[in-house]
Amino acid sequence: MAKAEAPALAGAPAPPPPPSVVAAAPASPASPALLATNDVAASKSVPDSPHSATMLIYTANITMAVYQVEAALQGVETAARDAGGYLSARQDTSITVRVPRDHFDDAIARIEKLGDVTHRDIKAQDVTDEFVDLQARLKNAYVMRDRLTELLARAAVKEAIDIEKELGRVTEEIERMEGRMKLLRDQIAFSTITVSFTPLAPDRVRESSMLNAFPWLQSLGLGSLLDVH
Amino acid sequence: MNTHASLLFPLALLVASASGCSRPFDIKTAPGLVELQDQEPAYSYRAISPEGVAVAVKVIDLEENQGDLAFWARATSLRMHQLNGYALLGEGDLKSRNGVPGHELRFGHDESGKPYVYTLRVFLTHKGWPSNGSRLFLVESGGPREEVARYQHALDWMGGSLEVD
Repeated sequence: MAKAEAPALAGAPAPPPPPSVVAAAPASPASPALLATNDVAASKSVPDSPHSATMLIYTANITMAVYQVEAALQGVETAARDAGGYLSARQDTSITVRVPRDHFDDAIARIEKLGDVTHRDIKAQDVTDEFVDLQARLKNAYVMRDRLTELLARAAVKEAIDIEKELGRVTEEIERMEGRMKLLRDQIAFSTITVSFTPLAPDRVRESSMLNAFPWLQSLGLGSLLDVH
Repeated sequence: MNTHASLLFPLALLVASASGCSRPFDIKTAPGLVELQDQEPAYSYRAISPEGVAVAVKVIDLEENQGDLAFWARATSLRMHQLNGYALLGEGDLKSRNGVPGHELRFGHDESGKPYVYTLRVFLTHKGWPSNGSRLFLVESGGPREEVARYQHALDWMGGSLEVD
């Protein structure tokens, strides 16, 4: 499946609003229950026939300074709910929320006001090819299943065993493809925003070679200042 | 002999001065904080309050052309904000008591889930002849947010008393 992934936009403003071609029917503004996906809203937002429509999955990873984390975590959750989204996961120093795609930019803007953003990574993954391909294969699989069902009704006992085996395989394939399409629909309809409250990862710290030339810079901060042992 | 003695006495004073008996800065310790002894080499000066509010001064000797004040203000800001995850709450220019320009960075950071604040003031002076180098002064203060607020007057007073050479 061809997947086009937009480059990470570290430190850049949020991308332009998602295209409206896919948003034939906006997601319901009603807040789903916490920690649960909303399949109904997801299926409403994504048309069954995406011909000529670009299907994008938006994800945002935002890193914020480690200050007043508890209040900021609560703020992110509230912003998601107000946008018609829901909480997906929450730990001590990070939170993941899902928001209706049409509210993605607004939610990002509101969340970024809750703290001091140190890093921003926003991606749009194009799943149009995969979606269209799945749809075509699913259509063929339905035809195959119906045909096998017809044959089974007229088959002799010996042939019926082979047909049932093939019918089972096709049915399994249909369920797998339906599951994948359901997942894609959900991911397209609800953008994922993860906010982390952590210092920059060690590998990114090493990238800042300029600062490595002055190791005493590493001794700045509350850790050393307040350590009077 | 008298001539020799009159020459040796100023020389002895000069040697004593250059041997580290005096610091290249002066800062007054506010009532409520005590200066800690033997803080070298990490700090040239450090004082604390019983509640855990601390003030410290680091002095970094730099070679010639190793950055101006803007460079070091940016480098320290980058270090604390983007790498250490400190929230930049504010910043601005200021001067030491003896008129040396400096830059102040104010940060917030959670320690064990509690909000702390941390202020860093950066000053840069040029050493006199025969050196072409410069001296970077890093004045740090911080502690639990509520305690720092209680000590803000004392911290401001200490910051205002700083003179750098």
